[in-house]
Amino acid sequence: MIRVTNIQRFCLNDGPGIRTTIFLKGCPLRCPWCSNPENISYDIERYQLEDGEAGIYGKDYTVNELLDIILKDELYYQKDNGGVTFSGGEAMFQIKELVPLLKILHDKKINICFESSLSVPISNIKTCLPYIDELYIDVKVLDKNIAKESINLNTDIYYSNVEYIYKSGKPFIYRIPLNNEYTFSLNNQKLIVELIKKYPPLKVEIFRIHNLGDKKYYSLNREPKVFTKVKDEDIKKFMDIVKNYSKIELIEI
Amino acid sequence: MNNLKHLLLDKLNGTSLLKHLINNYKYYRKYGILNTIIYFLKGTFRRYCPSLKLSKGEQIKRLLSKCNININKEGFIYSIDSYKVLNNKNRILDNFTIDYSIILDNSLEDLINKVKLIDNIDYRNNVLNVLEGINVILDNEINKLRDSKRLDKDKYLGYLNNIKNGKCKSFEEALQRILFFNQLLWQTNHMLNGLGRLDLLLDKYYEKDKDNYTEDEIINIIKDFLLKLHDNYWYKSNSLLGDTGQIIILGGTLEDNTYFSNDLTYYFIRCIKDLQIPDPKILLRVNKDVPNRLMELSLSCIKTGVGCPLLANDEVIINNLIKFGYDKKDAYNYVTSACWEPLILGDSLDQNNVDSIVYIKPFNKLLDEYDLDKIDNIEKLLSVYKTYLEDYLKDFLIKNSFKWEEDPLISLFITSCNKRGIDISNGGAKYNNYGFTSVSLPNLVNSILNIETLVFKEHKYTLKELNNARLNNFKDESILKDIKNVKERFGQDNDHIIDITNNIVNTVGDYLNDKRNIFNGKYKFGLSAPSYISLSYNVLASLCGRHNYEPFDVHISINKYSNGYTELFSFASSLNYSNNSFNGNVIDFIVSKTFIEKNFDKFNLFLKLSIDKGFFETQMNVINSDILLRAKKNPQEFPNLIVRVWGFSAYFNDLPDEYKDVIIKRTLEYEGKLS
Repeated sequence: MIRVTNIQRFCLNDGPGIRTTIFLKGCPLRCPWCSNPENISYDIERYQLEDGEAGIYGKDYTVNELLDIILKDELYYQKDNGGVTFSGGEAMFQIKELVPLLKILHDKKINICFESSLSVPISNIKTCLPYIDELYIDVKVLDKNIAKESINLNTDIYYSNVEYIYKSGKPFIYRIPLNNEYTFSLNNQKLIVELIKKYPPLKVEIFRIHNLGDKKYYSLNREPKVFTKVKDEDIKKFMDIVKNYSKIELIEI
Repeated sequence: MNNLKHLLLDKLNGTSLLKHLINNYKYYRKYGILNTIIYFLKGTFRRYCPSLKLSKGEQIKRLLSKCNININKEGFIYSIDSYKVLNNKNRILDNFTIDYSIILDNSLEDLINKVKLIDNIDYRNNVLNVLEGINVILDNEINKLRDSKRLDKDKYLGYLNNIKNGKCKSFEEALQRILFFNQLLWQTNHMLNGLGRLDLLLDKYYEKDKDNYTEDEIINIIKDFLLKLHDNYWYKSNSLLGDTGQIIILGGTLEDNTYFSNDLTYYFIRCIKDLQIPDPKILLRVNKDVPNRLMELSLSCIKTGVGCPLLANDEVIINNLIKFGYDKKDAYNYVTSACWEPLILGDSLDQNNVDSIVYIKPFNKLLDEYDLDKIDNIEKLLSVYKTYLEDYLKDFLIKNSFKWEEDPLISLFITSCNKRGIDISNGGAKYNNYGFTSVSLPNLVNSILNIETLVFKEHKYTLKELNNARLNNFKDESILKDIKNVKERFGQDNDHIIDITNNIVNTVGDYLNDKRNIFNGKYKFGLSAPSYISLSYNVLASLCGRHNYEPFDVHISINKYSNGYTELFSFASSLNYSNNSFNGNVIDFIVSKTFIEKNFDKFNLFLKLSIDKGFFETQMNVINSDILLRAKKNPQEFPNLIVRVWGFSAYFNDLPDEYKDVIIKRTLEYEGKLS
């Protein structure tokens, strides 16, 4: 069974073409800016919204159940490399359960993208990489100590996973959420630029973090964290530096 | 008070007094009280209505003869005298598109000579009277133009004079001729007059002339044509301002299954996009071979918020027209009635908007009358509903059987009427079918889904308890909350929901299948309707969570639990349109301009692939709630804001508040700002 919080059809920003994005439950990281808090814990959780609407985050699907839903939009995947994106949470967390589904999609020539923080053992990556057409690699905090303390990321594992993917030749894009407090500190910017130089991607996508997930925090009886707004001129400075090594785009979420 | 109003309307129905009152009301609707007083006073010596004692042809002749002609300062000649009206004893045929090729390929003299050969004397004389009237008003226009100070009058005098004795010779002349005959339809109280497939119709004239014009000149000619049509929209508007039915059909599949489009297809869309007027409107017929360039242009026009083109999918529509019984040639050449109902051009009486089926009415009746304890599962509920629906349809068909007003003007354009010497109102045309629209299908399906979940699956309530809550207008908010929390909804492409919807569609289709109208014509129906507000006025609450008299849900649309546009299109493509159910089925959704701009290529791809998916028709409202709320509060800041209402677009400021509120509410729901 594959534990999922959401299946979003008609996604236009999670890869090429028109896509269905599967949001998987469970993540080893604890990013303070996470806009999908319902995906952090693997456990099925009850929620209650302010307007009284109640429900459950997380549902277990069989491979066939997920496949049925995915194939409803099969026609739309046929052009411009449309397909399925696995996100989360950490998309590679449930890789064993996902493989049968990936095999079927791969055989059907449906484009597969993964969005991942790479905070998983390399064996997970080795298992799913043959099926993946394109990867979105989250770039967050890269200083070893700060990463462990602030978001529970082991940067040794992270860097070795990036290297493995880079050497495999699989196309990948870096996705960087911007906040002054963590990812966009001056030191972290330097580390990001070094990462890009060492393992150049297809392109870099950066985006301002947002508070669209606040409702979900409240539904889980938690307080969302508040972050200061990243200045336009700082973003421009950063983009000017990165442009020397890679295509870079500021995307709006 | 309501009863008195209905009594008065019944008494005045068809009379010139009512017609004049309506015109005054229409004028007031657009121009306010002071201007209307002036309009009313100006009409003191200008109002005219010929006596009902005369034959229809004679009435039309006299009416046209007395029309005051207004010569525009420049451009095409197009004049309607709103003070001249006709009485009618019966319902007037409307929602037509006449075959304008008849007046391009024939002079007035040709038409007179053809009519003179018709055997039936009464019919012949009636139509000849109409032609005499046309001659007189044409002469009056020519004389008035000649006497005017216009510097360009010679050109237009040539065009008008040529109507008398010559076939159409040029592109610009063709547009003038269309305008001339179009004005006659409005002048004789025909409402909701479409223009037909103008790109196809004008193709040969354009090809002959195009080297004589620059592109800008062609664009200006077309813009002038469109602006002239738009000019009297206060008068032409039917239920609401903007609802004129002036629909131009572009593109489309030819009989050899190739896709037709030409320069004019692009020009017309460009002109509407530039002009940013809500009327006339465009419907683009598409198939899987529609050029990408044309789709991109259409989407760029839609993106402006002007509300068109509406896209009609030939891949689905044409086969259903043929299955219904239309000849293949006619099916391929379809146009539409005022909103979106596929219509045969030319030899057809087909009235596609006779009335609207209100699905929730027999359902509410079931809930009121039936022993609800005996309904213990969904199959039983659907089975009982079927009997109520069929009873409702029986009365519905009886209610919608009536005589039509004699119409020698329209008959003139109908080949079979002239061949047989029978007026269109007496079934002289080749096709004489009736079409219905329908409302509240989403409300019905959602009611059924709510019952299924809350009563049969979760056993949270009995059906009686739910019904009592409904009868109390959902004063019990906890029941309403439970209803609103049910996540299965009309519009989701889940097999069960599709099956329930098709079950209802097939009940109607099967019932109508062997029924015939007074001309032995068939019945067809569609799942969309203009009347989502007007027919909800007297309908009590429904188990979808709708309160007493609240508007019904709109066409086939997104809801709070929808999962993207692909789901909506997938749902709509799974509905059964082949069981007499092809009379307009529109996916209507809201999308923001920013979304389209940011995702233009992918959104365009989505629309193109959806043609293969099999949607019937689709239209979009490109708006955002901030602007709508501001426009409602300060209308003077947004004089040109256009929104899509049903099958037409309107200036937001022209709409009554209840229509503004529905659009605002739907937009807030789309944006996730409403729970």
